[in-house]
Amino acid sequence: MRWRATPDLRRFLRRLPLALLAAVVLWALAKPAYGHVLAAVSQALARATENPRAAVVKVDGNYAMIGRTDFRAGSGWLKTSLIQIHYNLIPFLALVLALPGSLAGQGWRRLVLALAVMVLAHVLGLLWQIKCFFAFDMGPWSEANYSAFARNVYGSLRYFWDLPVTFTLPLLLWLGFFADRAMPLVGLDGTTTPRRR
Amino acid sequence: MSQRGVTLACRRSICGVDGAVADGNNRPVQKVKAFLATPAGRFLLRYVIILVVGFAVLAAEPVNEHVVKKYTTFVAHEARIVLNAFGEGATVVGQTLRSPRFAVVIYNGCNGLEAMLIFVCGVLAFPAPWRRKLLGIALGFLAIQAVNIVRVVSLFYVGVLKPEWFSTAHVFVWQSAIILFAVLLWVLWVQRYAMARDA
Repeated sequence: MRWRATPDLRRFLRRLPLALLAAVVLWALAKPAYGHVLAAVSQALARATENPRAAVVKVDGNYAMIGRTDFRAGSGWLKTSLIQIHYNLIPFLALVLALPGSLAGQGWRRLVLALAVMVLAHVLGLLWQIKCFFAFDMGPWSEANYSAFARNVYGSLRYFWDLPVTFTLPLLLWLGFFADRAMPLVGLDGTTTPRRR
Repeated sequence: MSQRGVTLACRRSICGVDGAVADGNNRPVQKVKAFLATPAGRFLLRYVIILVVGFAVLAAEPVNEHVVKKYTTFVAHEARIVLNAFGEGATVVGQTLRSPRFAVVIYNGCNGLEAMLIFVCGVLAFPAPWRRKLLGIALGFLAIQAVNIVRVVSLFYVGVLKPEWFSTAHVFVWQSAIILFAVLLWVLWVQRYAMARDA
């Protein structure tokens, strides 16, 4: 028998190109302001975990400039891509928007919750970049202020955020928050209400 | 049996009887617990566990040195062969692919292993016979390899022709595309192989 995708999957695949386009547009529109939000929150968190509170995160286009106010001007700045941190909003939004009826009913609420998780992941992603820069790349200052244990912890966190978290969060949030719509595509039941037998 | 009949039969066999959880679980923690009691929740939990273990193994220094770097060099050589078929005269040194016109370094995250893990973890975590899982992993490996070679070669030409677009194409176009590709490949594997009945 010739294999054919289920009607649900065919509908999902038909919607995906347009959903991807919409996701790119939304992401591009939100990107400038979002970069500033990420920088501000990450800077506040970095400062909350250090003494003296001197971490600085400035936005320069699509990049974050990370430095310290207690260093002389022009020294010790890291330029890191903000797009690399938050581009995974695109596949996530595309997957959500491609699901028929994903925003109906409680859908908007779930989207907001999923986006909140994503924003938290992005803030932490930038925070680990800041911490790793301070812990590894500032020569004797890094060695004096960060122990080998701290460097290992921040290095591991950055690795896990840069690759596993960034790559897999779209799929996990899509399956987790939109289980009732996404899981039936793969024949799994994600509803928590009683089913009729 | 019709396709719809096959699908429904498989859904029943996968879902079993324990998708039901009592009403009235309105607290977030209870909702999460209730979700984890469903087949979908159990799948997601297995997926996360396998994923964490998989990435932890890849991050280990010996694995990174002896497997990941060698694999990345292998990817660079595959791209070199394709580029040389277009007359680029490319060479590979370590993980750097260079020609007289442009050079790219293939890092972790650009070698396709992450897309592979998204897919492989999905296959391993899904309730399906092992034979079908192994078939899925083999076919998925080839498909992701092929797409990743297209990605590296296309990025090389973006670098040659429009270097100012390289960063954009590298991060938000191709990384988004590779994530979506891995997810779609997994969904297609489920529908084509995991949910299909034995002949």
